[in-house]
Amino acid sequence: MPVATHHKGSSEPASGAAAPEFPAAAVPPLLDLRGLSKTFGAVQALGNFTATIQPGEFVTVVGPSGCGKSTLFNIVSGLEEPDAGGVVRFQGASVMAADLLGRVSFMPQRDLLLPWRTVIDNAVLALDVEGAPRKAAREQARAMLPEFGLAGFGDQYPSQLSGGMRQRVALMRTFLFKRELMLLDEPFGALDALTRTMMQRWLLDVWQTHKRTILFITHDVDEALFLGDRVIVMSARPGRVKLEQKVDLPRPRPAEVVISPEFIRLKRTLLEAIEEEAMKSFLAPGADGATTTEVR
Amino acid sequence: MSGALVASPASRPETMSLALLAPLWRFARGLFWLAVVLAVAEGLIVLFGVRPYYVPRPSVVIGAILATPTPYVQGFLRTLSETLLGFASGAVFGIGIGVLFFRARALRELVFPIFIVSQTIPVIAFGALVVLWFGNTLVAKAAISFYLTFFPVTVNTLLGLEGVDPRQEALMRSFGASRFKLLTHLQLPSALPQIFVALRLASALALVGALVGEWFGDTVGLGVLLLQGMYNENVVAIWAAIAVCALLGTGLYAAVSMIEKWLVFWGAEQ
Ligand SMILES: Nc1ncnc2c1ncn2[C@@H]1O[C@H](COP(=O)(O)OP(=O)(O)OP(=O)(O)O)[C@@H](O)[C@H]1O
Ligand SMILES: [Mg+2]
Repeated sequence: MPVATHHKGSSEPASGAAAPEFPAAAVPPLLDLRGLSKTFGAVQALGNFTATIQPGEFVTVVGPSGCGKSTLFNIVSGLEEPDAGGVVRFQGASVMAADLLGRVSFMPQRDLLLPWRTVIDNAVLALDVEGAPRKAAREQARAMLPEFGLAGFGDQYPSQLSGGMRQRVALMRTFLFKRELMLLDEPFGALDALTRTMMQRWLLDVWQTHKRTILFITHDVDEALFLGDRVIVMSARPGRVKLEQKVDLPRPRPAEVVISPEFIRLKRTLLEAIEEEAMKSFLAPGADGATTTEVR
Repeated sequence: MSGALVASPASRPETMSLALLAPLWRFARGLFWLAVVLAVAEGLIVLFGVRPYYVPRPSVVIGAILATPTPYVQGFLRTLSETLLGFASGAVFGIGIGVLFFRARALRELVFPIFIVSQTIPVIAFGALVVLWFGNTLVAKAAISFYLTFFPVTVNTLLGLEGVDPRQEALMRSFGASRFKLLTHLQLPSALPQIFVALRLASALALVGALVGEWFGDTVGLGVLLLQGMYNENVVAIWAAIAVCALLGTGLYAAVSMIEKWLVFWGAEQ
């Protein structure tokens, strides 16, 4: 792994929007990604992705389908190594991706609940893996059930739950794995619009009480703006940062914030950037559909 | 199984009592149909005047068992012990080797072909050797039982372990799971449905192994009763032995199925 320098911000793509306005030296970033690329055979999923995440920040990531968002998360959670040349710095130290295994709380795109474990037992899965005392872990999970809208369902099996509840169990599992950085990959992607809005508001509440740093992937611009302190728009594949947009909407954000002029102005900027990229990925010769079938 | 309970806040205890009641009910139903079939067989034999030399009346067979129950009970217990010993050791060994092959690819490529060759040798050919090695003991019969049992278990364990959802594995790894935790918390439970398919088959094979083992020389056992019936041309005794064998085989299969229902309660969903 190349030696990392303490140079910051100069490589940020400046597409009109401001780079994060944190004073560079005040708080060191929790996560610092520089020039990350990832190639699968003939497909380059990520190309020179560079971004920093401050402690306590809620950063949302949007981008066209297949632009490498999940690939980015797989690197940050330690499951995949980036191509040579990329730098990952976590809590101030340059690390191999594999060093991050067990240090980042990762929620994949599917809930992936284990059918033989009850809600409680699924929620404490990460703690079980860590070897935490079982009884204490379960008690802790049981106490969290109401907060996650699962009161009375602790002893149910996943097959007995609705999609929204399964997703909340997966979120609870992610929250119980107490790590400073949480990666949520489209956690509400499969939910209906109403449930989704409820879950967004609920997530903000939970985030405020539990104080974590969240990196959140979504397809939905409204969701990205409603939740995030900052939105990262990714380019078509190979994914890099196309635009970083700070969201200065005051918190706590009421539901009506989505019709405020400021929200709409931000949304217009984001949509413009995203549409341009979506168009590119649609028209590109090796567009998603074609390459995907070839790869699998 | 749990599909019927969707969204009702019923939990494991209730599901479990249901799981225990259902087999009892099925057992009673099975007994009823068995009685019906036997009665029909009895009627047909009398009606068509089938000679007892070919098929004796069920009532005669049952009567013969009840008249001298001791050899049948002893035979049942003896063959049951041989079968259970062979089945249990075969299951444990089969699962263990399956896990080993799963983890050590090189070893698997080296040893698996030998296993396959060993399985193509007819058990009869193998039986003489086992009796030479272990003498005329319970262990010898169990060894033949074991020989028939472990291979399907190994194959299905391997199949089940390799069928684990790679995304679920990735999730476990992201929690920092060691290879051992991965095995105990994800891979083995995921493979259980596959393993039980093999165990059900193996329970029947284990009985075959025990019976064949007894033919290489023994004094007690259902296999011995079968042979004696054959030498004495005592058709009723042969049928009686067959009936007790059937009872043993069905009982074993049912027991394995019940353990499966209880352990793999979530079914092969996903
Ligand atoms: N393990 C892999 N092997 C080969 N190709 C892969 C692999 N993982 C991802 N890819 C390819 O990399 C590209 C980016 O995939 P990725 O899953 O990161 O996209 P995404 O942005 O998360 O898409 P979506 O929004 O649909 O979830 C895709 O073309 C995909 O086919
Ligand atoms: Mg994805």
